[in-house]
Amino acid sequence: MSRRETAVTWVVLLAAFLAAWSLASATLPVPPYFLPPPTAVAAAFVDLVAKGILPVYVMESLGRILLAAAVALVIAVPLGLLLGMSRGVADFMYPILNFFQSVSGIAWLPLMLVWFGFGEKTILIAVNYTVIFPVLFNALLGVRSVPRIYVNALRTLGGSRWRIVRDVMIPGALPNIATGMRLGLAYGWRALIAAEMLVGANGLGFMIFSAQSFHLTARIMLGMAVIGALWLLLDYFVLRPVEAATIARWGLVQR
Amino acid sequence: MRPWLSTARGALPFVVLVAAWAAVSGAGVMPAMFLPGPGDVARTGWEMAKDGSLWVNIGASLGRVLLGVVISVPMAVAAGIVVGLNRRLASVLEPVASFFNALSGIAWLPLAITWFGLGWASVTFILWNTIFFLVFFNTLVGVRTVPRIFEQAVRTLGGARRHVILQVLLPGAMPSIVTGLRMSIGFGWRALIAAEMIATTTGLGFLIFNAQNFHQTDAILAGIITIGILWLLTDRLVLQPLERWTIERWGLVSSS
Amino acid sequence: MLKILRHRTVLFLLVAAVLWGSWQTYLAVSAPRRLDPALKEALARQPLVNVAVTLGFAPEDFHIRLFQGYGVVSGVRGTTILLNRVAREDVRRIARYYWVRSIAAR
Repeated sequence: MSRRETAVTWVVLLAAFLAAWSLASATLPVPPYFLPPPTAVAAAFVDLVAKGILPVYVMESLGRILLAAAVALVIAVPLGLLLGMSRGVADFMYPILNFFQSVSGIAWLPLMLVWFGFGEKTILIAVNYTVIFPVLFNALLGVRSVPRIYVNALRTLGGSRWRIVRDVMIPGALPNIATGMRLGLAYGWRALIAAEMLVGANGLGFMIFSAQSFHLTARIMLGMAVIGALWLLLDYFVLRPVEAATIARWGLVQR
Repeated sequence: MRPWLSTARGALPFVVLVAAWAAVSGAGVMPAMFLPGPGDVARTGWEMAKDGSLWVNIGASLGRVLLGVVISVPMAVAAGIVVGLNRRLASVLEPVASFFNALSGIAWLPLAITWFGLGWASVTFILWNTIFFLVFFNTLVGVRTVPRIFEQAVRTLGGARRHVILQVLLPGAMPSIVTGLRMSIGFGWRALIAAEMIATTTGLGFLIFNAQNFHQTDAILAGIITIGILWLLTDRLVLQPLERWTIERWGLVSSS
Repeated sequence: MLKILRHRTVLFLLVAAVLWGSWQTYLAVSAPRRLDPALKEALARQPLVNVAVTLGFAPEDFHIRLFQGYGVVSGVRGTTILLNRVAREDVRRIARYYWVRSIAAR
């Protein structure tokens, strides 16, 4: 399929979608705030940027998720690698990590609210928790999945423990770690929006939630589009390429 | 002897965890209200079970998941196959499905509340769209990656379009569909808990959020443990076996 | 390994960094122009000043809450917010917002 055909199909579909939306918006027998037309959403974008509101909320949410990514990289990856190196420890931790990973950070939010109240700390703990566990779990799995033959080969060649870790275990675990980061951040971004709605002070989640009480539906839709777009940017430009690259370079045949 | 031993080995880490928990809460490092011990939490859980409140909320949450699955999966698979049949449409809608995938879940809640008000309808809508878009996307991808030779083989043998769909495309896409189902229920369960905290008065999410209002940390912990156990049971007893069976039955050796 | 990265991720991060940098520069450069001369004098004399911040639009909840972090909000007149007891540093911070039209002394 040529590029031209793809582009034409895109334009046609987009135009049809916008037309249908505008039509529905103008004709459906519902209150005006139910379905604002696309033009209202575009106007909301311009309005929120002109008033400096959108950039601030975007920065707040992005800052929180990037912080969680950094924390996961610095704490969860080394910890996961460490735990994975001993068979006994890894087998012991596996069910526990699996359990904690299944309970999203949001489920812990009520407890955090009792401990820390409705503030930044609560949001950060919930989001960081949500990102850390998949990364920890996958790092551990990654180390365990390195075939023993590579470790033994290096040992035979006289490699020290440190060399084994550096040249076999860490690279071998990297594809899993990249996947873990991608999964953890996917869960974390969603948990962040939920936490911002619940704690209710700032951020994109708060923006779309508070817009609902004033029936500013165009703002809700705009906020949703921004939330989706930000995740897509992060996933397409950073997370997926890194994951693919680690698999290409260090992925083991049996993957 | 064997299964008993492996269950014991699987339970050991949790026994240690609970023991550590009891030690920390008993040590008096934090006020009892902040971190109740396993005994208190178990007692509260037992009382909630006895007076029915636990079951009502479990039922509400699981019921919504079931409803979401039953409504969205057939729609998503049907839509995925229809779109997947048309190459041009499929390659254009794939990124669109990807975008809605990225957007799915709790971000729809304010819009859902605008349309449906507070209550089970909004929450089920969240579940519906989380499951729908991911299963639709996976069906689409699954259908597109079925090697054309199978389709051509059926056609050569005189098969009509519906034979191609039912005997080649659907089974061929099954592994991808079931993986999508498993992942989307994972995302959906999390979105459900969050949505129940905000928008309804029943369900496990509501249970723990409401308990927070009264600082009933023992109820919160009982709820959290229930949530974790329910997900693990669902995943281990239903979803993983289903995925494994599907791949054994229909997984293509040569698929990418 | 770096082949894919070279094209997509690195490019994206570079572009983002350049855009960010130029935006910050613009903010830093345009900030002083928003303060009126009388205010600049007052800032030199006192540690805390009372100001009138004029925006290009009627302020929303968001803006009121934002300014409460810088001083005491004593009123809103149309598109202007009256703010008391603002420290020197905070006046400079407020001046950096691109949506602030002007800040005057009171």
